[in-house]
Amino acid sequence: MGGTGAAEPSGQLDRLLEEDPADLYENAPMGYLSTLPDGRIVKVNRTFCAWTGRLPEDLLGTRFQELLSVGGRVFHETHLVPLLRMQGAVREIAIDVQRLDGSLLPCLLNAVELRGPDGEPQLVRATLFEATGRRRYERELLAAQRLAEESEARSRTVQKVVFDLAAATSEGDVASVIVQRSRAAMRARGAALVLVQGEAGDPQPPALRPAHSEGLSRELLRRLREAAGSRLALELAQGVRSIVLDERLRGDQPELATAMAETGLTELVIVPVSADSKRLGVLVIALGDAAPGQLISLVEPGERREIPASEIDLLYTLGRQAGQALERVRLHDETVRQAERAAFLLDAARLMADAADVEDMVARLAELTVARLADVCVIDLVAEHGTARAAVRHRDPARQALLDRLREQHLPAQAARHPGLRALREGRTQWVRDVAEADVRTMTLDGAQRETVRELELVGVISVPIGIDGRRLGVLTVAADRHRPPFTAADVEVAEQLALQLSQVVDKAQRYELESQTSHTLQESLLPPAPPAVPGLRTAVRYVAATQGVSVGGDFYDVVELPGGLLGLAVGDVVGHDITAAATMGQLRAVCRTHLADRPSPSALIERLQASWSLLGVQRMATALFGTLDPVSGELRVASAGHLPPLLCTAGTASFLPVRPTRMLGAPRAATPALEWAGVLPAGSTLVLYTDGLVESRDADVDVGMDRLLDVAGRACSADPDALCDRLLEEMVGEHRPDDIALLALTRV
Amino acid sequence: MPRNRVTVTGSSSGRPMVFAHGFGCDQTMWRLVAPAFEPDHRVVLFDHVGSGGSDLGAYDPEKYGSLNGYAADIVEVCRELELRDVVLVGHSVASMMAVLAYHRAPELFGALVLIGPSPRYVDDGDYVGGFSRTDIAGLLDALDSNHLGWSADMAPVIMGNADRPELAAELTNSFCRTVPDIARQFARVTFLSDNRADLHGIDVPTLILQCSEDAIAPEGVGEFVHRQIPGSRLVHLRATGHVPQLSAPEETVAAIRAFLASGA
Repeated sequence: MGGTGAAEPSGQLDRLLEEDPADLYENAPMGYLSTLPDGRIVKVNRTFCAWTGRLPEDLLGTRFQELLSVGGRVFHETHLVPLLRMQGAVREIAIDVQRLDGSLLPCLLNAVELRGPDGEPQLVRATLFEATGRRRYERELLAAQRLAEESEARSRTVQKVVFDLAAATSEGDVASVIVQRSRAAMRARGAALVLVQGEAGDPQPPALRPAHSEGLSRELLRRLREAAGSRLALELAQGVRSIVLDERLRGDQPELATAMAETGLTELVIVPVSADSKRLGVLVIALGDAAPGQLISLVEPGERREIPASEIDLLYTLGRQAGQALERVRLHDETVRQAERAAFLLDAARLMADAADVEDMVARLAELTVARLADVCVIDLVAEHGTARAAVRHRDPARQALLDRLREQHLPAQAARHPGLRALREGRTQWVRDVAEADVRTMTLDGAQRETVRELELVGVISVPIGIDGRRLGVLTVAADRHRPPFTAADVEVAEQLALQLSQVVDKAQRYELESQTSHTLQESLLPPAPPAVPGLRTAVRYVAATQGVSVGGDFYDVVELPGGLLGLAVGDVVGHDITAAATMGQLRAVCRTHLADRPSPSALIERLQASWSLLGVQRMATALFGTLDPVSGELRVASAGHLPPLLCTAGTASFLPVRPTRMLGAPRAATPALEWAGVLPAGSTLVLYTDGLVESRDADVDVGMDRLLDVAGRACSADPDALCDRLLEEMVGEHRPDDIALLALTRV
Repeated sequence: MPRNRVTVTGSSSGRPMVFAHGFGCDQTMWRLVAPAFEPDHRVVLFDHVGSGGSDLGAYDPEKYGSLNGYAADIVEVCRELELRDVVLVGHSVASMMAVLAYHRAPELFGALVLIGPSPRYVDDGDYVGGFSRTDIAGLLDALDSNHLGWSADMAPVIMGNADRPELAAELTNSFCRTVPDIARQFARVTFLSDNRADLHGIDVPTLILQCSEDAIAPEGVGEFVHRQIPGSRLVHLRATGHVPQLSAPEETVAAIRAFLASGA
C-alpha cells in the first residue's frame, strides 16, 4: 500500500481503493457479526460463513453462544457478557467456534456494545480473526508451561519432603510426613506407610505393619497386608506398581477388591520404601473416586487415569527418601534404646542381688520390666504341679485388672500353643511379632478371654524359657501394645538376657530352698519325739528352725531315762548350717544314746566321744552339754564340750551354772579331761539347756545375748517349763531367726 | 475488611443484604442491581478472595480448595459487620456458597436468594447437571487459553498497587481478570463441586431465580434445587443467559423485591 500523495497517482491503485463497502464487509479478511444483546445474530459476513461452513440464513437468528464449544459457552456467560455490559468492549478473547462439521475454528474475538440514549444495550458488533496457528503455538507454549509447572511442583514436593524428613526424629514422624506429602502430591484418597517388621534373614515370612495411614479403612489395610503376605519380597522387588480394581483382582483377591470398592477406590499404587538394598516397606497411595466433600474427579467413573512416568519417578524418589530417613531415625533410636537396654539389665541385676527372696524378686523385676522394656510382664515359675504365676504386671495400672482377669492362676495348660507354654516345652524363645487373630486364640481359652486380649491391644509377645542345665524353671513373657514401637530383635535379646539372669538366681534360690527344707525335715526326724514323762519333773522341749534359708543348723536335744532311775540330758550344736550338719547331729545323738546305756558320767561321755570322734568319720565339730539328773534327789551333774552354760531359774532369779567347758567335740583333745559340775536342782526351780540360736543375733555380741537371757528368764521364772520356753522364745528372738534353736527346760516339782 | 474489599452502602438502619458474586468477575456484577436496594437496605458487596480487588496474598489454596473456604469468609464478613437477619444473595456458584454459609451460621441469615444455582454441574446418573466431564475439561482449557494474555507487568495493577497508572489504560477485560493459577483453581472448585446434600435443612425463606436458556444452570437444575429446598420459591425470569443481574436488572430487582415483600 503506497502513500496517497504520490506525484503521479496510479489509476489502477485508485480503482482498487474505491472499494465497495458491501464487498469490504462481506469479504473482509475477518469474520463480522452483529448480534442483539441476548446473542441472537442479526448480521453476519460471508467470510464468517465460509470459515464455519454455514449458510447466512442458518446463522441469522441463531444465538452466537450456541456456535461455541461448551467451554466457550461458559466463558461467554461468565466473562464475555459481563465484560461487554460493564466496559462496553472486549478485546482478544480466545474462543473456539464450531464449524458445521463439528470441528473447531480457533479465533480471537473483539467486540463492542452499542448503547441507546439511556445506556441500554442495543447491538453487539464482533470481529473474529482466525488464529489456528497462533492458538496452536499458544497451546504448545501452555503445555510446555504446564509441564514446567508440574515439574516444579514435583521438585517442590521433593524439597518439602526432604526438609520435613530432616526434622523427623521418629519413625512416626517420617511416616506422617511421607504419607501426608505423597497423598497431597498425588491428590490421593488415602495413603499409608506399611513397614516390614523384623530384620533381614528372619526365618519367618516378614510381617507388615502400618506405621501411619490416612483416609484408608482398617479393613482395607488388613486385606492389603493379607494379600501381600508371603509375596512381599516379590512385590518390593518390582518397583512402583499398581493394583487396579478390575475383574482379575476381583477373581484373585476378592476381599481386597471388596474393601477397595466399598471405599470408592479404583487403584492402589505400591511404592517401594528402601534404603540402599534394604527393603523397609511400601508406601501405598490409594486413588479413587472423589470422596464426599472432595472435588469431582475429571476421570470418568470406572475409568483409570494412566499415571504418567514423571509421577512414577516422583513416587519412587519419595519412597527412597522415606527409606533413608527411616534408616536414620532407626539408627538413632537403636543407639538410644541400646543404652536404655544396657541400663535396664544392670538395674535388673542389682535388683536381683538385693531381693530378699524369689517372690519379692520376681515382683520387683516385673515392675522394673514394665517401666523400662515392655507394657506387660508375666513371670511364671514351675511349681510341683504345673506352673505358678509368680508376677503379672501391666505398665498402665488402669489395665492391670484386664491382665489379672486373664491370668488368675497359671499358664492355661489347655492352650497348648500358648507362646509361654511353647517356650517352656520347647526350651526356646517364642516371638510373636504381629499378634493376629490366630495368635489371640492360642493365648486364650474362651471368648471372654479373647475379648480381654483384644482390649489389651497387644502387638508383640516374647516368651523366653527360664531354665538351667536342661531344668525348666519357668517362663518370662513380655508384651508390647500398639502404643509402643514394636519389639525388635534387640528387645528379644534383652528378654533372653534377663531370663538368663533370672534362671541363675531362681535356680540358686530353689536349690537353697530345697536343701534347707531337706535339712529341716531330716533334723526334725532325727530329733527325739516327745520327752518321757518322769514323775517329779516337768519337761518342755522346743526345736525352732531358722526363718531364713541361710541357717539350717545341726542343733539337737535329748532326754533319756537311764537304767537305775537317772535321767540323761543332752543339748548340742553341730557346726554348720546344712544337710551335713543335720546328718552329723543325728549320728551324734545316736552315738550318745549308745554310750548312755553304760551310764557314763557326763565328763566321761565327753571323753568317750572325743576318743571315738575320728571313728565316726564326721568332718564337723560340735558343741554339746551333757548331764544326769536324779529326779528324786535333784542331784545334777553337768559337763560341757564348748557349749554355753545351762541356766537355772530359782525363785524369781536366773543364773548360769558355772560349768567349765572343755574343748569342742572334734577339736584336738585337751590335756586335761572335762570338768564336771555337780549340785542339786532345788525343788520348784527350772534348769534350761539351750543352743546359741537363743542368744546370738546378727547385730549383737553373744555376751549381750547372755545378759538379756538372764534378765528375761529372771522375769519369766515359773514352775511351768512350757510357759518359760514360750516366753524365752518370744522375748529373746524376733520374727526372724537367723539360726536354729534347741531348747530343753526341766522343772523339779 | 480489605481482604474481601467489602463495601457497605445504603440505609444503615435497613435490613442487610449481602451480595456474593459468582465465578468470573467481581462485585461490579451487582452494579445494576444493588443500588435499587440502597434506599431501604444496608447493601454489602465484596469480592471473593482471589477475585477483583481482594487481597491476593490472602489466597490459601488449601482453604479455597473447596467452597467451604468461601462460605467461611461470607460468615466472617457478616459477623464483622454485626449483621442480623441478612438477605444473602448469591449468584451462580455463590448461591452454593450462600447455602454453605447458612449451614455454618443459620442464626445470621433471614432469607436466601439463589440466582442461577447449580449444586452440581457434572451429570451423575439420573441427575442432569448439564455437563459431562469432557465438557468441564474443555471449559478449563478455554479458561487457560484466555489467560495467555496475562502479563506479569499487569500483576501490580490487578493486585491493587497501581503505582503505574499507564498500565491501567491497557487493562481491558480488567475486572474479570485475576491470577491464572487462582482462576484455574476457582474454576475447578466451581465446576467440580457437589453440594446436592447441602440443600437439605434450609429453614429460611429461599428464592430461586431461574433464567431462560441458561447454558450454565439449565431449568431442570433450578427445579431440582427447588424440590430439594421445601418451601422455596422458584421464579422463572424472562431474561436469557446466566447473568440476569446484568441482562435484566429491573426484572431481577422486581423478583427479589416481590419475594422480600411477601414476608421473606
